[in-house]
Amino acid sequence: MRVPPRLFSGSLLRMALLASVVSMAGGAVSAVAQEAAKVLEAEEATTLKIEPPQAQWGYIRGGFGSGGTRIFDGVTGKMKGLVETSKSSDMAIDPAGKFYYVSESIWTKGDRGTRQDMVSVYDTTDMKLLAEITMPGRLIIGGRKQNFIISDDGKTGFVYNFDPASSVNVIDLVKRKFVTDIDLPGCASLMPNPGVGFSALCSDGSIATVAVNGSKSSVTRSASFFAASVDPIFDNYTYDQSKAEAVMVSYTGLVYQVKVSATPTVSAPWSLQVAAGLRPGDTKPLDVNWFPGGTQPMALNRKTGLLYVLMHIGEFWSQKQAGTEVWEIDVAAKKVLGRHPLEKPAVNIEVTQSAEPLLFLSEDEGGNARVIDAKTWESKHEIKRAGGGIINTFFPR
Amino acid sequence: MSKFSVDKMGENLLRKFAGHTSRRSLLSKLGMTLVAAPVFPLLPVSRAEAAKPDRSPEAKTAFARNAQTKDDTKCSYWRYCAIDGSLCSCCGGAVNACPAGSEPSPVSWVGTCINPDDGKAYLIAYRDCCGKPSCGQCGCDNTDRETQLYVPMQNNNVIWCFGTSSMEYHCSTAVLVGAAE
Repeated sequence: MRVPPRLFSGSLLRMALLASVVSMAGGAVSAVAQEAAKVLEAEEATTLKIEPPQAQWGYIRGGFGSGGTRIFDGVTGKMKGLVETSKSSDMAIDPAGKFYYVSESIWTKGDRGTRQDMVSVYDTTDMKLLAEITMPGRLIIGGRKQNFIISDDGKTGFVYNFDPASSVNVIDLVKRKFVTDIDLPGCASLMPNPGVGFSALCSDGSIATVAVNGSKSSVTRSASFFAASVDPIFDNYTYDQSKAEAVMVSYTGLVYQVKVSATPTVSAPWSLQVAAGLRPGDTKPLDVNWFPGGTQPMALNRKTGLLYVLMHIGEFWSQKQAGTEVWEIDVAAKKVLGRHPLEKPAVNIEVTQSAEPLLFLSEDEGGNARVIDAKTWESKHEIKRAGGGIINTFFPR
Repeated sequence: MSKFSVDKMGENLLRKFAGHTSRRSLLSKLGMTLVAAPVFPLLPVSRAEAAKPDRSPEAKTAFARNAQTKDDTKCSYWRYCAIDGSLCSCCGGAVNACPAGSEPSPVSWVGTCINPDDGKAYLIAYRDCCGKPSCGQCGCDNTDRETQLYVPMQNNNVIWCFGTSSMEYHCSTAVLVGAAE
């Protein structure tokens, strides 16, 4: 039978066309695949490293009950990384910039089980856990800079313990071993004391100085210089390693300068408000004035000697109230150089020790942070959900 | 109501603490702390007992001038003059009782608050309830006579869950201990 030529020819044509389309499609797919292979290469998941601590960085803790310390570059406002600080832990930075130390308490079963207290040691560049230094206990509170301090040479850590009796754990950070626990009744809020050990503020208004020699120690006390229950000094004071000097502020706004040594000396206090041309703060009710307040109400630039204090209008016993102004104070001259209104009230303040100092502030609401140029007072960055907690900066040596 | 006695309070607190924990070394350390640092927690009481207090509005703190005695789920309730945390009365508990399943701490921080109805000052023990995640309701932070860590029994940031089976903070109560004058 003859196949009708039209049908035959039509069928052949279809087959030829199909072959051609398939061929073309195959070529196109191949081209796309080749193109795709060129652009979208298979990836390996990796982990980045981070620079060691930088002077322009701010370390912002999470608020009460939350963990993590976010690191922000004050120049760019960008997040650089996160230090693994557990809930209510305390963080300190190795003065040489090699380690982050976290004094923390964790339990074997989440919030119950066996309690474990330790100083965890992290490398500052790969952020990996290097060691856990077991210790007998620590105060669980968070939000305090002076509960975990490191000696100026970076070799010894001091951890405040309260269970509910006061003591201090001495940690050898070189051997990464707990050394001893020193009873320190009625005292807290630690400061390093170079070549001696550490000092602390006490409920009788004195400074206790603890000379530490290995596992042995001896405690001496200064004369009483402040009224601990009448006009308390804020726990979160500043300590200047370069001068071995602490600058402290009381609830009424008195500034105390403590020269740290085997026998610390305290300068005569002076009033922040008087330094600003106002009347001094008073403890009397209904005496409305400017008062210092917040959780971390003050910061000190070690190079310029300028102190920054969060101030608010109110009555006495408003010590936790957020600051609506930052007062810029020349400590040596005992003079307020400027009063700088804040866009939003803040509870924590810290200043970088970089060549161009930047102020980091934790605002009162939303866990937001703000970065302000400490020379021009220009707001550089508003960082949402930064953490809202206390702030550390790194002091390069 | 009996007049407040510091010795009795200390004894009661220590007895209760001893009954709840086997950490005897803590008791001796706490005892040493109390002996070595007599300035706390007695100062507000000592001051209150030293002279007849002035209860005029001019002598009252901002909190005391605005305090009320009707609603213990509000931060302005008179006993809360130095409380910091979630009010247990908003969390299924009461002003002096922990919510079910949580455990009261045998020790506490203290405040001296003025009752606006009778004008008298009372010692208030702020006992934390522990062992559950934070209640998160009715957060208050009042700061009358609230000090820093070197006077720990007058500091309201410390998590007072000592001697409890868990140190997880849930909420805070305000237990009336006695008259402070």
